[in-house]
Amino acid sequence: MRVALYVTCLVDLMRPSVGFAALRLLESAGAEVFVPEGQTCCGQPAWSAGDRSLAVDLARKAIAELEGYDYVVIPSGSCADHLRNVYPRLLADDPDWAPRAQGLAARAWELTGFLAEVAKGSVLPAEFAGTVTYHDSCKGLRGLGIKRQPRELLLKVPGLALTEMVDCEECCGFGGVFSVKFGEVSTQIVDRKCDAIAAAGADAVVGGDLGCLLNIEGRLRRRGDETTRVLHIAEVLAGGDEA
Amino acid sequence: MERARTWQAMRFHARAGEKLKDAVLQGALRKARPLFVAKRRKGMTSLAEDGLEFEMLRSAAKNIKNRILADLDVWLDLFEERAKARGAEVLWARDGAEAARLVVEIAQREGVTKATKSKSMLSEEADLNAALAAAGIRPVETDLGEYIVQLAGEKPSHIIAPAVHKTIGEVEALFAKEHGRPIETRTSADIPDLAREARAVLRQHFLSAEMGISGANFLIAETGSAALVTNEGNGRMVTMLPRVHVVITGIEKLVPTLEDFATLMRLLPRSATGQAISNYVSLLTGTRGEGDHDGPQKTVFILVDNGRAQLLGSPYEEMLRCIRCGACMNHCPVYFSLGGHAYGWVYPGPMGSVLTPLLTGQQQGSDLPHATTGCNQCGSVCPVDIPLPELMRRLREERVDSGRRPWSERLALKAWGWLAARPALYRWVTRRAARYLNWLADDRGRIRVFGLLPEWTAGRDLPVSSARTFHEQYSARKRA
Repeated sequence: MRVALYVTCLVDLMRPSVGFAALRLLESAGAEVFVPEGQTCCGQPAWSAGDRSLAVDLARKAIAELEGYDYVVIPSGSCADHLRNVYPRLLADDPDWAPRAQGLAARAWELTGFLAEVAKGSVLPAEFAGTVTYHDSCKGLRGLGIKRQPRELLLKVPGLALTEMVDCEECCGFGGVFSVKFGEVSTQIVDRKCDAIAAAGADAVVGGDLGCLLNIEGRLRRRGDETTRVLHIAEVLAGGDEA
Repeated sequence: MERARTWQAMRFHARAGEKLKDAVLQGALRKARPLFVAKRRKGMTSLAEDGLEFEMLRSAAKNIKNRILADLDVWLDLFEERAKARGAEVLWARDGAEAARLVVEIAQREGVTKATKSKSMLSEEADLNAALAAAGIRPVETDLGEYIVQLAGEKPSHIIAPAVHKTIGEVEALFAKEHGRPIETRTSADIPDLAREARAVLRQHFLSAEMGISGANFLIAETGSAALVTNEGNGRMVTMLPRVHVVITGIEKLVPTLEDFATLMRLLPRSATGQAISNYVSLLTGTRGEGDHDGPQKTVFILVDNGRAQLLGSPYEEMLRCIRCGACMNHCPVYFSLGGHAYGWVYPGPMGSVLTPLLTGQQQGSDLPHATTGCNQCGSVCPVDIPLPELMRRLREERVDSGRRPWSERLALKAWGWLAARPALYRWVTRRAARYLNWLADDRGRIRVFGLLPEWTAGRDLPVSSARTFHEQYSARKRA
């Protein structure tokens, strides 16, 4: 099983440990893992901002570099949603690229979806002493149906207890450019998420999208919460602090 | 008036800042949000009791509205024919101003001095109350929420709960002043008392008004009827007691048959308030017939375009499916951070962020389609499956294409895109960026003030975890 790991631009720059954790998880699932060299960004910010031609250019680039693998795995519901649900639409009218976009969409998986549905029964090396609460990121949840997969995986981790926060499906207010363009509104939204996390009383809040996690962690710390850990699910599942 | 204009000219960003600082408003919103969400959830769960299921119904509802939109002119003709056959008059208005002018003309012709109104968002589009008042006709809002908003001299902040931004203390102060009594201390237990008080006052208006003005939740083509969905009973008073009944509504409110109406009614109250059915559902057809004891002697439909027809066949046609349930705003993180007035025109929340720029020709709310996290909580609850986030994105795309975004934003996007297309250079830049971010961070790995992202660090830290990018570390590992 040849698997391409698409680490995402945010993980590359802001939290490389998530990429290495995903790498270890895929290897432990028995995959032969490749990190295609030219990968930069899937182009979702361009699409979202309304720059279609730029989004198309970056989609073609990603499609070309991610061909030739059985699967493409992405530790982000947001980017995976873009590859799976937006690329085929972006290139639907292009006879050369439409089938290639559809091909990639069929092979592209969000990490927890892949581990729960494709690489079933792989051995997870982790241990985690404590309770965690899971934040459902919007694009993964509503775009890809990622809901039970991360919870199933978390419940297999020895020592880990899962406690649900209220409104776990509520948006955290990140929204990419939204959080830097409408920072005050975003802060108001993430405050509700932080309240829910505090009320859940977990040792860690876990999610599948680094954007949301940076937003939540940044706000928790600014509010003076120094103890609640904010972790990507790959980091929890892979265990250890390697990388 | 001057104040209203200034308010409208303000951009969403500035209005948002004001709303976030309004502690009373924030308290009201904090209370309302979980109620709305829980009520809808309960309403949708109750579908199972009737052997129904949300996705199935929503697909049926979508098809009904799509069928109407595909031949809207034909269905409108049929509606006109059937409504006229039952004695109603049917008038057409190109925009809000024309609609308001028609209502005023009817009122003047009929010698009307007072008009009772049941809830109508289209009358807000037409700024009807101002037009009536200017002509010396007193408009009296009779929906409790609208009554409160009218007393406060404000606009509705929600399409089904117009006074959701008001606290009980504010309502008490308004009632005491209007009804000429001392202010008392009130809790939510007193809401029925306040409602009774308003009813007593409104009853006099119901009995004395010569004209009733209502909207319509649906128009039914096969019967020429208006359907009115209400909870307070005021709709019946407004449409049955006065001599003249004027229905003012948008051309997209049409459904083909009573059966289609029944299907949509499975979804509308559940989506709006979680009710399996609203307290009152009225089907209003024509004028008082021979031998009828009540009903208007004159019924006039004013069917208003106001920017709707131009959406047919456009990428935004799906927006015309909207049945105004309010579920999108009830599930919107941005709406419940700011309330409806931040949106600056008639319609708030996600549906407003799409409709406002479209219906006002982008004069209003051009920045509204940007004020979204893209979470799609709205789209997932929409009973007619309108892809609201995609329509907002599409509006953003139009603004990029027509060069209506700030040059700084366009330049940043282009520069970043140019870089992302050049992996070697991208690696070089991101390696340096990682080092720079790491250098900016304090010893706990946090940036507290960051000039490049001032809005981010105004409210939160930027966590930084490594001075080396993933790809830098990965290539080093591979070489080793």
